[in-house]
Amino acid sequence: MENMEKGGKSRGKILGGLTLLTIVVGLYWGLIVAPPDAYQGDTQRIMYLHIPSILIAYLSFFLVFVGSCLYLWKREKRDDILAFSAAEIGVLFTALTIVEGSIWGRPTWGVWWTWDARLTLTAILLLIFVGYLMLRSLIEEESRAASSAAILGIIGFLDIPLIHMSVYWWRTLHQMPSILRPDKSPWENIHPALLTALAINFVAFVLLYFYLLSLRYRVGDMTEEIKTRRMNRGG
Amino acid sequence: MGPWGYVFLAYGIVWGAIVVYFILLKGRYRRAENELSRLRAGEDARIDGPK
Repeated sequence: MENMEKGGKSRGKILGGLTLLTIVVGLYWGLIVAPPDAYQGDTQRIMYLHIPSILIAYLSFFLVFVGSCLYLWKREKRDDILAFSAAEIGVLFTALTIVEGSIWGRPTWGVWWTWDARLTLTAILLLIFVGYLMLRSLIEEESRAASSAAILGIIGFLDIPLIHMSVYWWRTLHQMPSILRPDKSPWENIHPALLTALAINFVAFVLLYFYLLSLRYRVGDMTEEIKTRRMNRGG
Repeated sequence: MGPWGYVFLAYGIVWGAIVVYFILLKGRYRRAENELSRLRAGEDARIDGPK
């Protein structure tokens, strides 16, 4: 057990070091090496945060969906811990996506916020998962809190295809997807110099995400063990 | 605000928020780790009993 924990810690340190290195390279590439966009100029550099953030949020809520389905099916605590951990980090990255988009929208569209279909659906996604986190703390009985949150997590995930398709279904101010597009590959949409910066920053965000998720999962796991041990002691 | 003002505002908020979350998460991790080792040590002492 102790050896496993030591092995986990050293893997965590390697992942942490690699994450930090990639973040530094990503910042250097995004802010210094990549040229400004032909139309938007330097404000386009916000894209190197905005796209990775929303993709990480999607990944997070996909893990909430998977963890929630597995929990409702098998009732194993580890699946619930995974869903809870992923939801917490997903909320952070969704909130950051909205903030980045707002800051990018001001010089590009002339407004900080507009009730555009994609923006509104992303705000709804954030509210659903803030509700998910609140629900967990409001219901005292643990298994009931986990089951209710799992149902909300599954429903919440269904908002993501709507967000993605919103720019096709409604007339919106938000541009069409640049990366996840069925008719065109990313290198046909974005200049290679900008795509390289985006790819490096995306890798940095993915590494950061798995580093944070492993840490958050371990916190959840230890909290469960603490509760069990306290119950066994009768206090 | 110029273009770089918006860029630095976005980068500052995002990386600031991520660093704050990381510090808080590390704190939760350390507290849970300390509590768990305290409980484990207490249980080990009970199992071993007085020598």
